Amino acid sequence: MTLQSLTRAWEPMSYGFLDASAKREIRRKMLKAIAVPGCQVPYASREVPMARGWGTGGLQISCTLINPRTRIKVIDQGADDSVNAASIRKFLARVSGAPTTNDALEADLIQSRHRVPEEVLREDQVLVLQVPNPEPLRPVQPNMSIARQMHADADYGRMWLQLYEQIVRSGRVMQGASYPSLVNGRFVMTPSPIPRWDVPKLHMARHLTILSAGREKRLHVVPPFTRVEPLVFDDVPYRVEDHGGLTCQRSGARGYFMNEIPQDDGSSIHEVSDSDLGVKTIRRREGEAVAIGATWYENGEMTS
Amino acid sequence: MAYVATRGGERAMEQSQRLFRAEMGAITPERVAEVRAAMPYLVDRVMGEASLYDQDLAALALAQTGGELYEAILLLRAWRTTQPRLTVADPVTQEGLFTHRRISAAFKDIPGGQVLGPTLDYAHRILATEVLKGETHVPAPVEPASRPSPARQPSVAAWQADNDLLTAPEPDTATGNDIPDVTREPLMFPADRAHTLQSLARAETGGVLALGYAAQRGYGQAHPTVNELRLAEADVVVRHPRGTRFSAGRVKVSQAEVVSKQGEALGLGFSATLGWNEVKVIAAATLDLNSNGAPKGSATEEEFFLYHTEGVESSGFCIHFKLPHYVTFQSSLDAMRDAKAKRAARARHAEPAE
Repeated sequence: MTLQSLTRAWEPMSYGFLDASAKREIRRKMLKAIAVPGCQVPYASREVPMARGWGTGGLQISCTLINPRTRIKVIDQGADDSVNAASIRKFLARVSGAPTTNDALEADLIQSRHRVPEEVLREDQVLVLQVPNPEPLRPVQPNMSIARQMHADADYGRMWLQLYEQIVRSGRVMQGASYPSLVNGRFVMTPSPIPRWDVPKLHMARHLTILSAGREKRLHVVPPFTRVEPLVFDDVPYRVEDHGGLTCQRSGARGYFMNEIPQDDGSSIHEVSDSDLGVKTIRRREGEAVAIGATWYENGEMTS
Repeated sequence: MAYVATRGGERAMEQSQRLFRAEMGAITPERVAEVRAAMPYLVDRVMGEASLYDQDLAALALAQTGGELYEAILLLRAWRTTQPRLTVADPVTQEGLFTHRRISAAFKDIPGGQVLGPTLDYAHRILATEVLKGETHVPAPVEPASRPSPARQPSVAAWQADNDLLTAPEPDTATGNDIPDVTREPLMFPADRAHTLQSLARAETGGVLALGYAAQRGYGQAHPTVNELRLAEADVVVRHPRGTRFSAGRVKVSQAEVVSKQGEALGLGFSATLGWNEVKVIAAATLDLNSNGAPKGSATEEEFFLYHTEGVESSGFCIHFKLPHYVTFQSSLDAMRDAKAKRAARARHAEPAE
């Protein structure tokens, strides 16, 4: 037996970029976060070859979970062709050899910034959301140590007060994206800056959602079949964006979250934000046999 | 097909990088060597903020990024991520440092003496414009002192502790892999002493200066006196698998001790970093001096300054605002328009009937 036979040849980079000890730490922290849904679990967060704030948290999760057979989809604001999504997809494929796809139905692992795909995700799929700020209490308490204590005490009075004040001032809750939501009846989390449209998709979902903030070094998880309830008052129901009646000018898809495109004449047109759903809708319209999965929203209304 | 998931974005991305690099031309070994030789202080600053001591890699990172400092440091940090940790070196002690420069503002003279060493402190800052006219600026040769100053010196704080002027911090007994490492563990608050000092050591110089200066100017409780500022070289002593201890080489280090009167004793602030970077260690030591008991949310509170001086995180977050945010923006617009429509509807109802 030679020493060489016991060791591996030197390589400039580990498989999936991160070394084994970094991956082990992230695996352990993910398991902990699954066990305590919605709780922010701190992790070391290594530097990766992308700038902080550009999806380094999601990237570390993807690098840890990926193997050569994992089919990956990367989206940014719903689009596969967004420059940063393209950059992350290219990096993941390069360091893992994993195949890529734009189709949410084919993907095993979906890394996303600010959107949940419109097609219903399955038990065998993992959604990794990039998180700029993991702390829903930040607007009412910028100090991380105090906020951590508030979570421990389930002290969410100031969150409720903030929502109440918005209703008093503006006649409605003014929170845009990142709508604070109660997970499994215990921890208030930020669902990351997904639109309000996407938050109900996390409630009792079949898939696993991992939310990871690389810069802030925190991850939290919504396990499958877990309650995710936006913070609302009994007499002021939760309202998603008023997009149910909008039609995509390019694909004709209707009743999904839309991008507003301002026009020269002062008006706007709309395009479906989930770009691959738009592509598939067009291909089907042109006669191709394209599989479009069941969608969470039907005719602009959340089902189930 | 009417709608294609374009690859145009990817092509534009590729070309934008080429455009950035086109201006700098070829990166040659000679260029990297020149950067290393001509800009030791820039190389030092980059190594300190990257927490990676390798002059060649730092010079390469500078050459590769055209001197875009945040990018250079990110390159080195990302490279550092991929490197295994082979061993933990012996602690570096102040007495053990090979000292090039060491000054104290607290006393006219100190045991071991004031050693000016290399500095521009007393230079007249006049541009050598003759170089642009084709002349070569050759620095005047150094005249060595008749008697070299001692290479190894005790710290001023040690003398003060002996004279009951300050209470020296308890020595940290953690060794080897038990030493908390901020690159392998998340920073939590109240922070481990090791995490605080490590974070300051790799903090961004400009950020530390801004907050340290705020504390010096009056947004802090303690006015610093530079007890001792030191530029030195430290032996990196490691253990061979056979058990022999040996120096694997020397690294340049800076350290600052600042003190201020706190009741009947002196309070001590400390900072050290890789490379020679005086401004950073004085500002960082000032923050350390002021952090004890600082109000929550103030610039001298540990959580505030450690989070906000982390250059890779702060610069990354700042430039991330260039990424598209149209989904979040759309979500806000929806709430705004709805609130506005509701207000208009209420106003209509309130108008008296004609």
